[in-house]
Amino acid sequence: MTPELEHRTPPPVLAARGISKSFPGVRALDRVDLEVAEGEVHAVLGQNGAGKTTLMNILFGLIHPDEGEVYLRGRRVRFRSPHDALASGIGMVHQTRRLVPAHTVLENLVLGHPRARGLLDLRRARQELEALCARYGVHVDLGARVWQLSEGEKQWVEILKALYAGVRILILDEPTSALTPPEVQALLRALRALVDQDGVTVVLVTHKLPVVRAVARTVTVLRAGRVAARLSVSDTTDHELVQHMVGQEVTLPTVQAPDHRGPVVLEVEDLSAYNDKGVLSLRGVSLTVHEGEIVGVAGVTGNGQEELAQVLAGLRPAVSGRVRLLGRDVTHLPTLDRWRLGLGYVPAERTEVASVAALSLVENTGLNYHFDPEFCPRGMLDRARLERLTRQILATFRVKAPHPYVRAQHLSGGNLQKLVLGRVLSRQPRLLVAHLPTQGLDVEAASFVRAQLLEAKARGAAVLLISEDLDEIFAVSDRVGALYEGRFVALVPRNEADPETVGAWMAGSLGRRA
Amino acid sequence: MRIGAYRLSVERAEAPSPPRVALGALLAVALALLLASVLFWTPESGPWTAYRIAFGYAFANPSGLGATVHRAVYLLLCTLAFLIPLRGGLWNIGLPGQVYAGALAAFAVPFWAGARELGSGTAGGVALLSMPLAAALAGASLGALVGLLRAKLAVNEILVTMMLNSVMFWLVSDFIKEGGAFMSATAEGESFTLPEAFRPPLPLGLPPSAFLGLAAAVVVDFVFSRAAAGYRVRTFGLNPQAARYAGIDPVRVSLWVFVLGGAFSGLAGYHYFAAVPGLYKIPTNYGYYGDLSFYGIICALIARGSAVGAVPMALLFAGLSVGGRFAQGALRLPFGVDYAILGLLMTTFVFSHLVDRYRVVWRRTAPAPTSAPPRPEGAR
Repeated sequence: MTPELEHRTPPPVLAARGISKSFPGVRALDRVDLEVAEGEVHAVLGQNGAGKTTLMNILFGLIHPDEGEVYLRGRRVRFRSPHDALASGIGMVHQTRRLVPAHTVLENLVLGHPRARGLLDLRRARQELEALCARYGVHVDLGARVWQLSEGEKQWVEILKALYAGVRILILDEPTSALTPPEVQALLRALRALVDQDGVTVVLVTHKLPVVRAVARTVTVLRAGRVAARLSVSDTTDHELVQHMVGQEVTLPTVQAPDHRGPVVLEVEDLSAYNDKGVLSLRGVSLTVHEGEIVGVAGVTGNGQEELAQVLAGLRPAVSGRVRLLGRDVTHLPTLDRWRLGLGYVPAERTEVASVAALSLVENTGLNYHFDPEFCPRGMLDRARLERLTRQILATFRVKAPHPYVRAQHLSGGNLQKLVLGRVLSRQPRLLVAHLPTQGLDVEAASFVRAQLLEAKARGAAVLLISEDLDEIFAVSDRVGALYEGRFVALVPRNEADPETVGAWMAGSLGRRA
Repeated sequence: MRIGAYRLSVERAEAPSPPRVALGALLAVALALLLASVLFWTPESGPWTAYRIAFGYAFANPSGLGATVHRAVYLLLCTLAFLIPLRGGLWNIGLPGQVYAGALAAFAVPFWAGARELGSGTAGGVALLSMPLAAALAGASLGALVGLLRAKLAVNEILVTMMLNSVMFWLVSDFIKEGGAFMSATAEGESFTLPEAFRPPLPLGLPPSAFLGLAAAVVVDFVFSRAAAGYRVRTFGLNPQAARYAGIDPVRVSLWVFVLGGAFSGLAGYHYFAAVPGLYKIPTNYGYYGDLSFYGIICALIARGSAVGAVPMALLFAGLSVGGRFAQGALRLPFGVDYAILGLLMTTFVFSHLVDRYRVVWRRTAPAPTSAPPRPEGAR
């Protein structure tokens, strides 16, 4: 079944042997072996919490295994820190960005570069980097401040940074999770160029089968901290891969929410707002969301979706226009009062915005309850009650966590996302604004989250779903629309549009105006 | 390091357990004293004699113990002044300035009551109460300015507080030196002495500010661990973005932590200059006491943000500075050994924190891979 693997004679360029790693209460990796051949794209596939990121962090020297060894070109290596890994030509692009937001792209790229000691030759660096960008067909403004970039652009900066440092083995942890479909295509093209033209070896961590299919030659499937399979991609089927990932036949929950459109909950009128760069990026948006209705808003990142969500949550001021929640004008109401009125907000950035890494899960639940008199009688946090609620959320939303007092930083991205959604939904919000709620989730978790959105709808919540995944939007929404350059191209009932049309709207191609 | 099939390595560790932290603290003290013993080595006496004299004076001699406790209370109040903003992620480096503000405000009460001219004046409970109140208010106002600038205009609080320290230093100078409103009758560059009537009572030999400081430490810890308000401050300190998401108002948090911090510094100023027996004035060397307030920062950092945990730290620092100064005089040691010990203590404490973050681990090593990999588990 895997003839290439058996016939390969040279030692693997990168190998891990018997790697085990435990965190308080979790065995993240259990005697894991990994072998990556030179000049290939090797995919590491697995569900959320399968141990993929932990394994990569070990290869990159960020954390140390409890047991096991790492071999580079047949020689045992022990990286004390990522610095050692970089010096050996191994680079890693993490799931969360590790850039200095206040610095320019160029400054970030130069930071930590072996040549950047003492004096910085920014002009020379700029020329070299421009050449590098041209080579891989990347468009990033080297003079822009990192905090102004979209998630996709930031990721490119990190990849460029690794390439600029001259790495020969590039580890990419879920590189497509923050990207829009066209960005994903561009990334995959660039990866192929990297491997074919420059002989770079790529280790690609993902849970997306199409990504594996598109670029990888071999794949290691992890399940619950163990190697479930090591396969040649061309010799396996999607079904087989999914089975290895999940360990059993997949049964996805399906919820049929009845269509009972009630009165208007959210009313947005001619709303405009600036983005972080000071550019008017939300330009006269109007929409209504009714009780028991899901409105799906598609759009390529950077077309005003984030600003829309933040203005609705009271985290960004409106320049003009009006927002009414349950008939009340909340345009200038602070965030806290909106929560009290029945807003529920699931932001796209679950680690940075929706949770505090250093606090326990119980205390993180407090983020959505510290103002609730039932949980804070006489100004004192009712810990027992918060703990009960947290346990309930962990169970209902099938969050993999050893106990409710573990710090949020120990949860995998997907588990954290389920927890955030669970926290917000536990408030039974009248209006739920969910921004990229399934970003970075595996198939099972994503469908679970979608089912939860439908349940919220069935309970009578008004749901505004902002997503880039057209399948998702069409799977749950009653009405669909697309934002392009801060305006709605269209907003129509689901049966009046199809994914192709909405895809065209996302790209700015004119459809019907709503 | 490799021994047989095992490897010895140093790795980052999770948060240490409380007993380990306490043990680390004790070891840090022991190490600092051991290192400092070099300084106490004189031809006539060894370090043992010096430490016996220093600790004997600081903790066993009645007048020395008094000085230690008064100073410890001062340090504790300064610790609270630094610790509260720190939990909100903000750095209050303005302790001396707020201490001076508190001292000036406290002395303004008897000044207005005419105590300076009359040399005595009559004071009831109202005057006695209004002195610490005025001190706390003055410190709080200075803190409020910093908090507002931080919250509304994102002005760096460290720079503002440092500059205010300088402003307040010279303001005190202006008040107590020649021609100043609070100048003493002898014009020796110090303030007028507080008349008897304005000195607070001393139950158990301690001014009320001492009990207030201890009670405040307990309350502060309780609020941070249990109250919703403390939770909001901690959340803001750990992740301001998440705090905003949760509807926590950044302006209110920044303002309140600095108002409270400033109030405790102001009280510290009242305590040392107007409530501690033996002083009852703003002395010529008030700058020394201002500098001393910075030990509040050290105490808060070493106690890792716990106010009650800072109490033994404050006592230790106070005792060493009082006893060290005494031993220095008694044994004719070089000038500045007291500061040298404090400096060494800080260093060893920082070192012990560093050690806490790592652990030593034994691991078994696995054999090297061969060129032909074993048959993959998933292959059939």
